[in-house]
Amino acid sequence: MRTILVLVRKDFANFFRNKAAVSLTFVVPFALIWLFGTIFTGGKDSGPTGIKLAVVNASANPGAQKLVAALQAEKTFRVVTTTTGADKVERPLREEDLQTLMHDDAFRFAVVIPPDLFDEKSFGLHLKIYTNPRNEIETQLVNGILQKTIFSNVPQLLGQALIARGRGIVGAETLARFNRATADNVARSFGGNADEILKQIEAGDFGLSRITGGSGDSGTGDSLVNRAIRIDSVQVVGQDVKSPRATQLVGGWAMQFLLFALSAAATALFYERDHGIFHRLLAGPVSRAQILWSKFIYGICIGVIQLTVLFCGGRLLFGIDVEHHAGLLILTCAFAAAACTSFGMLLASITSSQEAASGLATFVILLMCALGGAWFPVSIMPQFIQQFSKLTIVYWAIEGFTQVLWANASFVELLPILGVLGGITAVVMAIAVSRFNRGNIFG
Amino acid sequence: MLTLDNVTKRYGSLTALDGVSLRIEAGEFFGLLGPNGAGKSTLMSLVAGLRAPDGGEITLDGQPLSAARPEARAELGLVPQHIALYPKLNADQNLRIFGQLYGLDGATLRQRIDEALEAMQLADRRRDPVSTFSGGMQRRLNIVASLLHRPKLLLCDEPTVGVDPQSRNAIFEFLEKLNREGLTVIYSTHYMEEATRLCSRIGIIDHGKIHALGTLDQLLLKLPFEEEIRFPAGEATAALAAQLGGHGSVEKEDEQCRFRPHSGYKLSSFYQLTESLGLPARLFTSQRPTLEALFLHLTGRNLRE
Repeated sequence: MRTILVLVRKDFANFFRNKAAVSLTFVVPFALIWLFGTIFTGGKDSGPTGIKLAVVNASANPGAQKLVAALQAEKTFRVVTTTTGADKVERPLREEDLQTLMHDDAFRFAVVIPPDLFDEKSFGLHLKIYTNPRNEIETQLVNGILQKTIFSNVPQLLGQALIARGRGIVGAETLARFNRATADNVARSFGGNADEILKQIEAGDFGLSRITGGSGDSGTGDSLVNRAIRIDSVQVVGQDVKSPRATQLVGGWAMQFLLFALSAAATALFYERDHGIFHRLLAGPVSRAQILWSKFIYGICIGVIQLTVLFCGGRLLFGIDVEHHAGLLILTCAFAAAACTSFGMLLASITSSQEAASGLATFVILLMCALGGAWFPVSIMPQFIQQFSKLTIVYWAIEGFTQVLWANASFVELLPILGVLGGITAVVMAIAVSRFNRGNIFG
Repeated sequence: MLTLDNVTKRYGSLTALDGVSLRIEAGEFFGLLGPNGAGKSTLMSLVAGLRAPDGGEITLDGQPLSAARPEARAELGLVPQHIALYPKLNADQNLRIFGQLYGLDGATLRQRIDEALEAMQLADRRRDPVSTFSGGMQRRLNIVASLLHRPKLLLCDEPTVGVDPQSRNAIFEFLEKLNREGLTVIYSTHYMEEATRLCSRIGIIDHGKIHALGTLDQLLLKLPFEEEIRFPAGEATAALAAQLGGHGSVEKEDEQCRFRPHSGYKLSSFYQLTESLGLPARLFTSQRPTLEALFLHLTGRNLRE
């Protein structure tokens, strides 16, 4: 028994000496649990906030304005109602603006309240929802909250729809007399102020909210509401994508594997240092810069090959349309691989051993994947976390892949994202090279 | 060929090399003998251009040997202390990489690789991953990887650490052959046997300073004795040891007594004394003093410390 205890003590001593092992065991899970908890549990700042939602209100009906106000009050949405025209003057959004702006990813969801919100020829409401469902989770979430908000306000709107329909059939004057008589009868039979009841009837409040619960919850009332609302859905981007689900997911997963592969490749620098290979190379006609450039180019090549294989696998297994985007896809892969390689080299430059670099890499990669939108859309994270997303390579690489595969972006449209990835690469590599020159990686 | 003039290197507060001056001629097999931490590897790394000295100058054929002169460094070959090879690649691939870095290609490279593997008796294992080689085989390959470009000066930084006697002999014979063919070799070691066998001139280094420099004979002349006589320690020889004390130093080590006579003491006197004490001649071994003894004499400590 004593022998076993000695051996156990030895393992503990080794474990606590290994900072990478300790961080992987405690720090990484804790950080990820905190992140997931913040996103998915009911904390003060939890849940999606600030998802851009364009709202075009083409209806003159006061109920429509109420609906806009309800959408503006929903914390999930950041309602956009104006745009800047070619003359740089801000003006209200129009329905014809939406497609262009959504193609430019100014926002991915829009609600149009048409002039015929209430149709006098048929009973019910008419709404139009424009979507760019580039991320399934985000789209379902936004649709859910959008419906909840609309349905919460629908009963009153539905009443107005009934009034409009009645006006269309019997005429305004007859309807007014009918409403007056109804209000008087209700007051006489059930009590209450006849004028107040008339106001409620004219506002469309027939007590339907008490049938539907007013919250959009499922139930019989909901079914009634569902039948009473006509929503025209327009998918603006990605409607021609062959395998939407796989296309939406592939970028995030590809980035995760790419980061792990290229970090491992970069931290192999330590092997060459520890085995004197750098000494052998540097004693010959090889410079430090040449060694670092070779690592960088190797990283890009292996990254492009890995991503190409992954996307080809996606093509074979899920039918992702790779062949029509091959050029831009490879370009994006190259920029993403360059950024990931520079990240790996930065890790190698700030750590002192392969174990430490691997531990730190695991931690930072998982964090970047979570923050950058590889696992779930950035938009469902709390606003303060979203601010960090744009600092990650993962975010911009996913943006790039999505633009190519989902939005069918042109080279010019892709340029800003490539520019960001290139900028990240340049900055991170500059830091890494500076650290390498001052550090002990070359022995 | 290679000149170090008052070269100094510091790591923080530690002075690894302290005003070292050396001149190594073409065709020499120069040994740098010293214990671990003496400054051998630092000196090698400065000559190899891996680090810059804090003071002094290093020149090769009269030209400063700095990291900024890759053409000068192409005339050097470094055999690092570690086995600086890619273990997952085979011997052939490893040599090809290092040869190509020195600008070799095509038939020339092929021929050099063949020759190198043949010389190190590794030709039949050329397609095997280096990780499957024995330690000795890896060491041999480690050496020839530095020679493909036919350097003028070969720097061997303790190249036989952990090598079996058979491989060690093969390495020695190979290096001796290269030296006979004109290659200048600087060989750092803490094994006095290696320095004694291989080196035409030896520099004894400790605490960053060269304490002595010369051929083996020249160095041993620095000792205050010319012979060293060993005999078993014990009751039978106790009286002898006591009487020898006045004629030199007597040290007991591992059940052996080591008598180092003062200069001028004649061996005939020693044997007269042993005869008078009735001790048989077979108990006594006379030998030249070693570099170990010189190191102890110069630095006050053993090479192994």
